[in-house]
Amino acid sequence: MFSALSSLQPRQFLTQILNFALVLSTAFMLWKGLSVATDSPSPIVVVLSGSMEPAFQRGDLLFLWNRGMNTQIGEVVVYNVKGKDIPIVHRVVRRYGGGEQPLKLLTKGDNNLADDTELYARGQDYLERSQDIIGSVVGYVPFVGYVTILLSEHPWLKTVMLGIMGVMVVLQRE
Amino acid sequence: MHSTLVRAQNVFGFFTTVAFCTALLTALSVLLTPQTPSATIELRNVQVVKGRPHYYSPKKEEYAHIKFDLDADFTSLFNWNTKQLFVWITATYPPANTSSSAHPSQAIIWDTIVNSHSQSHPFNPFKFFEKAPLSTKKPQKSTPTKKQEPRLRPGIVRLKNSKPKYQITDISGLLSDCVNVTLEVGWNVQPWVGALTWTLPEGMQLGRWKGVKGGKSKVFNMPALKGKSANSEPVVASSGTPKAAEASAVL
Repeated sequence: MFSALSSLQPRQFLTQILNFALVLSTAFMLWKGLSVATDSPSPIVVVLSGSMEPAFQRGDLLFLWNRGMNTQIGEVVVYNVKGKDIPIVHRVVRRYGGGEQPLKLLTKGDNNLADDTELYARGQDYLERSQDIIGSVVGYVPFVGYVTILLSEHPWLKTVMLGIMGVMVVLQRE
Repeated sequence: MHSTLVRAQNVFGFFTTVAFCTALLTALSVLLTPQTPSATIELRNVQVVKGRPHYYSPKKEEYAHIKFDLDADFTSLFNWNTKQLFVWITATYPPANTSSSAHPSQAIIWDTIVNSHSQSHPFNPFKFFEKAPLSTKKPQKSTPTKKQEPRLRPGIVRLKNSKPKYQITDISGLLSDCVNVTLEVGWNVQPWVGALTWTLPEGMQLGRWKGVKGGKSKVFNMPALKGKSANSEPVVASSGTPKAAEASAVL
C-alpha cells in the first residue's frame, strides 16, 4: 500500500486529494441545495422508532417538503418539540385556523391509541405550523436509512468509512 | 486492474444501479393503473356532551360524538406498489366567533389502516422448502387438492351505524349548536417505494386517476349540549400514552 503511495508523482498525489475534496464538497452542496429547494433544515430523515408502523419502520428514509404552509389534515409531518432534539414523524389529525390566523395542528401516530398532546412541551396543546414543523413527508424509500443508523450508533464507523474512502480515492488511478 | 477490491466495487455499483432503477420504475408505474375510488358517507346520530381531555384534567370541554354509515370502494387504489391505505373521516366545521372568511376547522373522527395483500401475506421464500416433501415417496394422488382461496381484493369498507374512534372537541372548547358541519372521507396511499398520494377531490382528474365519487355527507348541525346536570359521568377523551416515532437527519 505504501509502495503504491510512494510510486505516485507528487503532482498526481495532490490531484487525487483535490478529487477527494471535490467529492466531499459536491455531496455537501447537494444536501444544502436540497435544503434550499425544499425549505427544510433536514430534507431527508431516517425513521428511528415505530409508532407509525406498519407504514414507516426503523431504517426507512423519508423525503420532506416544507413549502406548502397550508398543511392539510391526514398529512404526515415531521416536527420538533421545543426543548427536545429528536424530530418526530406523526400524522395530522386536527387542524384549526389557517389563512391569516396561525395554523394549529394536533398530531397522532397511526400505531398509537392516544394523540400527541403528552409528547408536546409542557403547557403546549397544539403545534404551530410555522414554528414547530420542519416538513411534510412526500416520498418514501425503505431500508436505506439503516446506514445512517449504524453510523450514528457506532461513531467509529464514520472514521473508518472516511478513511477507506480517502485511501480508495488516493490509490485509484484513471 | 482485476483485483478483488475492484471487482467487489463493480458488483456493488451494479447492484445499487439496478436497485435504484427498479425502485424508480416501480414508483413511476403507479401512474399507469387507473384509479376510480368511490365513497358514500351519511350521518347517523350526533351528540354533544361535556368531558375532560384526560382523566386528571380539571378542564371541561364539549365533545361531539358522531355516529355514521360508510360505504366505500377503494379497491382501485391498490396496485403492486401499495403497502397500505390509511382511510379517515373528518368533520369539517366553521370556527366559532370568527368572520365567514376564516378557514374551517377539521378533526378526524375515525380512521383505519387497510393492509394490501402483499402487506398481510408477505413473500416468504422459505415457504417452498417447507412444502417440499422430505421423503422420496410419491404423494398419494387420492388426497383432494386444497382449494385455492380466492384472493380478496382489499379496499371495501362498509360500516353501519359506526361509533367514532375519536370524540372531537374544538380549540375553544365549545361545539354545541355549531352549524354547517360536514363529514368527509380522506385517504393516504403509502407505497412500498416512491411518493405518497392523498385524497383526490371529487371532479379532479390526474392522468388515469379520477377524483373520489361522493365522499361527502350532507350538511348538518350540532345539537345543543346534552345532560347539563353536573352529576352526569363526564367523557374522558383520550387514554394511554403516545409513543414517539422518532426520526433523525440523514447527515
